[in-house]
Amino acid sequence: MMKTDLVVIGGGSAGLSAAIEARKQGIEDIVVLERSPYLGGILRQCIHNGFGVHKYKEDLTGVEFAKRVADEALALNIPCIQNTFALDISPEKVVTAMNPEQGLFEIQAKAIVLAMGCRERSRGALMIPGARCAGVITAGTAQRYLNLEGYLPGKRIVILGSGDIGLIMARQFVVESAKVERVVEIMPYSSGLARNISQCLEDFDIPISYNSTVINIKGRGRVEAVTVAQVDESRRPIPGTEFDIPCDTLLISAGLIPENELAKAAGIQLSDITKGAVVDDNLMTTLPGVFSCGNVLHVHDLVDHVSAEGTKAGANAADYLKAPLEIGAAKIPVEDGFGVNGAVPQFVCREGEPTVEFMFRPRNKFRNCTVCVDLDGVCTKRFKKLVLTPGEMCSVVLPRALLNTARDKITMRVEV
Amino acid sequence: MWDAIIIGAGISGCSMARELARYQLNVLVLEKGHDVCAGTTKGNSATVHAGYDPEPGSNKAIYNVRGNRMYPALCEELKVPFTKNGMIIFAINDEQMEEVHKLHAMGNRNGVTTKVCDRAALLEIEPDMGEGVIGGLWVPDSGMVCPYNLVIALAENAARNGVEFRTSTEVLNVEKAEGGWLVKTPTEDFRAKYVFNCAGTYADKFNNMVSKDTFRIIPREGQHLILDRDLAKYTKATICQTPENLPGGGHTKGMGLMPSVDGTIILGCNADQVEDPDFSDNTREGMDKILDYFDVKWKYMPISKHIPKFPRDAVITAYGGSRAHPDRDDFILGEPEDAPCFINLAGIESPGVTAAPAIAEDMANILLDREHPAPKADYKPGRELKEPFRTMTTEERRAAIQADPDYAKIVCRCEQVTEAEIRDAIRRPVGARSVSAVKMRTRAGMGRCQGGFCSSKVLQILCEELHLDPLEITQSGGHSNILVAKACEPDGGKHS
Repeated sequence: MMKTDLVVIGGGSAGLSAAIEARKQGIEDIVVLERSPYLGGILRQCIHNGFGVHKYKEDLTGVEFAKRVADEALALNIPCIQNTFALDISPEKVVTAMNPEQGLFEIQAKAIVLAMGCRERSRGALMIPGARCAGVITAGTAQRYLNLEGYLPGKRIVILGSGDIGLIMARQFVVESAKVERVVEIMPYSSGLARNISQCLEDFDIPISYNSTVINIKGRGRVEAVTVAQVDESRRPIPGTEFDIPCDTLLISAGLIPENELAKAAGIQLSDITKGAVVDDNLMTTLPGVFSCGNVLHVHDLVDHVSAEGTKAGANAADYLKAPLEIGAAKIPVEDGFGVNGAVPQFVCREGEPTVEFMFRPRNKFRNCTVCVDLDGVCTKRFKKLVLTPGEMCSVVLPRALLNTARDKITMRVEV
Repeated sequence: MWDAIIIGAGISGCSMARELARYQLNVLVLEKGHDVCAGTTKGNSATVHAGYDPEPGSNKAIYNVRGNRMYPALCEELKVPFTKNGMIIFAINDEQMEEVHKLHAMGNRNGVTTKVCDRAALLEIEPDMGEGVIGGLWVPDSGMVCPYNLVIALAENAARNGVEFRTSTEVLNVEKAEGGWLVKTPTEDFRAKYVFNCAGTYADKFNNMVSKDTFRIIPREGQHLILDRDLAKYTKATICQTPENLPGGGHTKGMGLMPSVDGTIILGCNADQVEDPDFSDNTREGMDKILDYFDVKWKYMPISKHIPKFPRDAVITAYGGSRAHPDRDDFILGEPEDAPCFINLAGIESPGVTAAPAIAEDMANILLDREHPAPKADYKPGRELKEPFRTMTTEERRAAIQADPDYAKIVCRCEQVTEAEIRDAIRRPVGARSVSAVKMRTRAGMGRCQGGFCSSKVLQILCEELHLDPLEITQSGGHSNILVAKACEPDGGKHS
C-alpha cells in the first residue's frame, strides 16, 4: 500500500489551496486526487467575473481564478492525479481510489483534507409536482452544457430559486438569445448575492417574484409551461394566485448541498444544518487528522472564502503532521442562537492561534442588527451589522483569550 | 406473416415474448414508448406479493400465488436482483388485530403462508418495530424486485432468442384478416396469426376493436417517493399497516415502506382515478398524502428507532405510474369467444408484476396447444450480464478495471456507475437509446443528485456509441430532447 503524509480529496479551489499551503509549511509528501480530467473544480465552467477580489485584489473570471490556483500548485510540484475517483475513506485513514492508468489502489494517509465540493438540490429533493418531462434542469448542469459543451438546454426559461448560479445563468441565457421569463423565489428575499440581483436580473429587465413558487410542471416530451403561485407565510401556495408561464425549460437554482458521502462512510460526524462535517476551529473533523474545507464543509458565497478556508485547512493539516494534536483535548461547543443558521466551527479549542473566525448564514434578512456572542449565556461581544442576508455569509472574529473565558458554551445569535 | 404479435412491452408483453421465444416461432413486439417498460410497469411499488389478499378463486389470487413461486428461479436465471424480505402488516389496536386475523384466514384460503404475531413475535422478525405496534401479520413469501430491471431482462432474453422488438411504434388498429390479424402502425402494417394484447391502460381499446365482449380499463394513478440509500440499513421487511381507514382509500394495499433491491426505500402509495391512460405526473396532493402519512406513522417504522422524525429531506425523488384497473375487477385473460387467436392479458393491475410470469405461461399454452411449434434447440435461458460495479467487492473491482479500464471511470458518482456499464447498456440487445433508458439499465442518474453531474456525460457517451449529434439525444424518446440549440446560434441552427 502507498503511504503519504497528506491526501487532499478534490482539486478545486479549496483542495488546491490546502495542498499549496501545506507544501509552503514544509510538507513534502502530498497527493491531490481529482475526479475530473481537469483541476479547478466547478470554477472551470464559471466564465463570468467576480472571482478573486479578496484573494488577488483583481476581478477575475472563475476560469482565470482556477488557473491561477492550479498553476501555483503545479509550480510547487504538488502531484495532482486527475481522472481519479476516491471510493472510500476508512476510519484508519486509508483512501481507496481508482483511475484508468493505475486501476484500483489504496493510500495510507497520515492526514486528509476533504474538499469534494457540493451538489445542487434537485427537482426530486424539492418535490416539485408535475409531468416528468425533459427540460427540468439544475442551474449548474445548464452552465456545464452551455459553457463546457457549447449547447443551449432551452430557449424560454423560468428559473426557480434565486441562488447565485441561477442568477448568473439568467444573464447568460439572455446573452445567448434565449428568453428568461421570470425568476421565482419562495422566500421574501434572494438567496443569492445582492450584486447578482442587480447585475444579472435588473440590468437585463428580468422580473423576479418573491414569495412565489412553481406548483406544477406541464408538458409531454419537453416542458411546455409551469404554474406559479404565491405562497403564504408558511410557504404554502395561496389558492387563486396561480398562473401559467409558457416555457420550454425550468431551471432550478434552489440550494447546494455539501457532498459528504466519503465523510459519512468514514464515520465522521456531520451537522444536520450545514450538511458538512462538524469541525473545530482547526477545521478538523471528529476523525483526528481529517480536515474539511470549502463547499464540502459549508456552502460559501464567494470562492475567495473557499480558497481562504482551504489555506487554513492546509496549514492546520501541516501542523498536525508535525505534531499531532492531543486527542480529546478540551473544546468549547458553539451553538446557533436566534437568526443563526449553522455557525462554523462547531467547537473551539482551548489552545491555538490568537483569534478564531466564525462564519454563518443568517436565517432571515435583518437590517441594523447586532451579532451577539454569548459566553455561557452572557452577551460578551457585539458586532453591529447594517444588513445581514441569507445569500451572504456573515463572519466575525474573536480573540481566543476572550472565548476561553467560556466554561460550557459559546452562542452566536442575531439581535434585531 | 408473423406467428405472433405482442402489443406492449411491459411486464406482460415481455413475459409473453420470453415464453414464446422458447419455440420456433416468429414473434414481433410492438411498443408505443421509446423503450421497453415505458408505461404501467415502470411506476409501482416493486413488490412481489405473496398473494394472501386477492379474492380466493379469482384470477388475481391464482396467478399471484403461482407467479410468486416462480420469482426466485426466474430472477436467478435472468440475473435480476430479487429479495424475499417478507412483509409485516402491523396493527396498533384490537380492531386492526381483528383485520390481521381476517387477512390470515384469507391467506389460508389462497394457500399462502402467513403468521399472526403478537408484539414479541414481531420483534423477533423486525427488532426495531416502533412502540405502539401491538402485533401484526408476517408474510414471509413477500419479496422485492425492480420491475423495470426484470422487464429489460425478459426483453433482452427474448431478443437474444430471436424475438424482434420495435419501440416507438404505436399500434393504431387491429382487424381480422386472411389467416389471422392485420395490425396497423403509422409506418407499416403487419400480419399475424396470433395477437397478444398486453397494452396496459390501452388494452380495452384493442379488445373492443375485435370483440363484442367489451370491457373498460379505468386508469388509476399511484405515486411513490424514494428515500436516500443511507436509511435502508435500518429495515429489512416491507412494512404496511392493515388496509383500514388509510389515506388512498380501498384501492391499494395501503401505505407502505418498501426497502428496494437497490438499497433505497420506496414510500407509497396513494391511488387516484385519472383521465389520461399515460398519466404519471406527481401531484402535490399525491405527494402530500404520502408525506403526511409518514409524518404521523413514522414512529411505528423500524427506522424511527435510529431516526426519530420522518426525514423529509431524505426524499431524493418521486414517481408516479398508472395502473390498468379493469371494470370487471379481475385480470381479463384469454380469447374472447368471438375473436379466436386474439389473446388478452388485460386489466393487469396489482399484483400484476407478480402474476405476469404465470399468466404468460398459460397464455402461451393457448397457442402451443394448437400449433405445436418445435422448441428451439439453441434456446438460451439466461443472459450475459456483469455484476454492477456498485456491488462488486474490491477484488472484483480491481479485476474488472484490469480487463476494461472504463470501469475506473465513474460517470454517476451517487450510484457509482462506470463508463463501462453505460457503454454496455447501449450495446446490449434491446439497448438503451435515451438518457432515461441508460438510467433504467444502470441506475446512472437515480441517486441523490438526480443526474445533475452525470447527465451530460451520459449524453456524450450516447452520442459516441450511436453516432448521433447531441441535439438528437432525448430524455425518453419523442420530443424530449435534452438540448435545443448550439450556443451562439440565435436562430437555433443545427450543429454542422
